[in-house]
Amino acid sequence: MSNPANSSLVFLFLRRMRLPLTVLILAYSIATLGFTLIPGVDDQGNPWKMNFFEAFYVVSYTGSTIGFGEVPYDFSPGQRLWTMVSIYLTVIAWLFSIGSIISLLQDPAYRRALRRVRLARQVRDLDEPFYLVCGYGDTGRMLTRALTDRGHQVVVVEHNQDKIELLEVEDFEATVTAFCMNANLPDNLVEAGLRSRWCSGVIAVTGEGHVNLKVAISAKLLNHKVAVYASADTRSEAENMRSFDTNHVVNPVEEYQRRLELAIDKPDLFRLYHWLNSGPHARLARHVAIPHGKWIVCGFSRVGRAVWQLLQERQMQVVVIHPDPEQSGCPPGTVPGRGTLAEELSAAGVEGAVGIVAATGDDADNLSILITARALNPGLFHVVLENGLSSHALFRAAEPDFLGQPSSVVAGTILSRISSSLVEPFTRHLLQQDNDIARQALAGFLRHQSDHPPQLSSGRISAKRTPALARALQAGSVITVGKLLADPRDWQQRLQLEVVFIRRQQQDILFPDDDFPLAMGDRLLLAGRDGEADRLRAALENDERLEYVLTGRDRQQGLVWRWLERHSG
Amino acid sequence: MNMSKVMFGFFVLLAVTLNFGFFIGDIDNPQHHDVYELFAALVVGLIATVLKFGERSQMGAILLASSLVVNLHLIAAVIVWAVAVHVTGTGLTPKVMASIVSLSGGALLANLVSLVLLTLDTAGLSRR
Repeated sequence: MSNPANSSLVFLFLRRMRLPLTVLILAYSIATLGFTLIPGVDDQGNPWKMNFFEAFYVVSYTGSTIGFGEVPYDFSPGQRLWTMVSIYLTVIAWLFSIGSIISLLQDPAYRRALRRVRLARQVRDLDEPFYLVCGYGDTGRMLTRALTDRGHQVVVVEHNQDKIELLEVEDFEATVTAFCMNANLPDNLVEAGLRSRWCSGVIAVTGEGHVNLKVAISAKLLNHKVAVYASADTRSEAENMRSFDTNHVVNPVEEYQRRLELAIDKPDLFRLYHWLNSGPHARLARHVAIPHGKWIVCGFSRVGRAVWQLLQERQMQVVVIHPDPEQSGCPPGTVPGRGTLAEELSAAGVEGAVGIVAATGDDADNLSILITARALNPGLFHVVLENGLSSHALFRAAEPDFLGQPSSVVAGTILSRISSSLVEPFTRHLLQQDNDIARQALAGFLRHQSDHPPQLSSGRISAKRTPALARALQAGSVITVGKLLADPRDWQQRLQLEVVFIRRQQQDILFPDDDFPLAMGDRLLLAGRDGEADRLRAALENDERLEYVLTGRDRQQGLVWRWLERHSG
Repeated sequence: MNMSKVMFGFFVLLAVTLNFGFFIGDIDNPQHHDVYELFAALVVGLIATVLKFGERSQMGAILLASSLVVNLHLIAAVIVWAVAVHVTGTGLTPKVMASIVSLSGGALLANLVSLVLLTLDTAGLSRR
């Protein structure tokens, strides 16, 4: 199938070259014709006329400004006059042609089209699984970085030229192909490789919810096999996306709500959940106890409203500060203002409050609220909303007690779901547990690592994926979770890995005990240090290695050695 | 009255007619085939080809293809002439002349195809 964009570039080029080429041909032919007609004199003084061959020769080296000389005989004055005419005709024709070519190649629209053709070819030549990320804001950048660090190729679609230029100078571990076009148009998504059989997932994280919705719909309709993850701004958008079978929809406001709710009710579960869903470089949050009492919420945005509702449900008094109380449907008793001035905070009663939430849409305002409130009441608990990552250093320096970052929330939630399809049911079960179970699980993880979150991966026990384990199970041996996690290098040690979730046909088991027996067809979700899961997987494919892991006996490999072993006792 | 279409038709027709003019006459008699006419046929043929650039339709593609064939034949005829007369010194023997005229005959055929296509295209337009 010929690529229409590619051939259209060639056609555009040819169309532009019509006039210059015509001028060139005319110039050369007029010059040549003239030389054949104008009389000259040969070395004996006889009249002589050039034939076409000689005429074309002379015109060729005149037009290309080489100028060998007057051949074969010196020119007569008439011929010399014609030479002058030829020079000006042909050289100007050349300059005109070359000028046209250069101006066409420098045309920004032409260069953009050229670039798109080259990128489309790059995408067509991809023969490895890749992810399509729509939107290169803070969230998109974090996702691209995390995915490429894991070795996946990524194709980025972003509308803004500046962000694309930023991307091109960054260094990634895997190939990133960046298209500067509008993700709203399904044709653009197809050009970016949506229908390729290597497209493993589409991630819609542009700044606008309705664009994400369009991307999610287009992706599911144009390629059934692809997994779609999207960020939604409102509940209706989220519902709409779910109705199209979007694999996972993240609503940042709902996520904040969920995390704040957990932080208030089940702090250890909050720490665990937050750690697993904030990206690959997230730090484990400190132990924070959200105080009960009077709270101030600055900014009645979607987040502000959600927090207000949350606190109200827990019987806490909440005072809202918002610039325009009547307009935004604020509750009675709202103090008008932004919250950045000390008078506004005092009017809201900051001296007697236990906590303040800075949830305006402007980062500078949020920082200002934080600092002003801290000056008025040093013991206040600060919850701050960070809108864009550009001021991140400032926010970290201000040391709020609870920092909400939309980009890492969305990116982290999506990344954990990309790791495995079991993460969704695992998370659902996890959120229903109580705080003690979460604390135990967290302690388990902290035995292996504390710097960055555990890596999640999953696998199925089957004859195809884990042949050795399948054979052992079919032979009737009882294999428990604990036995499986022995280090293949040293049987006495344990792998730095936990089995956190097992899914069977009839039941789901969360945090199975070490003596829980495994069965054929089980799907396991593993969490632990990077690379440990691969080591386990390698052990499960090889009979001898599996036996070592289970029993500590180092069986000999190979027919000869085994025969010797059997016969020596 | 579309000026570019007038130009286009003019050059295509001129190319066909000049080519025919060169071709007609005894195939091996140099007196019947003038070098200036071959020159004119080649130049106008090249210009006609250039005017056919950049068309996206199927018709445009075949028109361009036939034009390129014309140019190929005529350039070959010119080269045969130049080599025979100036390079090897054979001169315009009947055999050489016959080669030149046959090549131009081939070009004529391709030109006719071009003309027929142009006519069809015009007829198609007028029906609308």
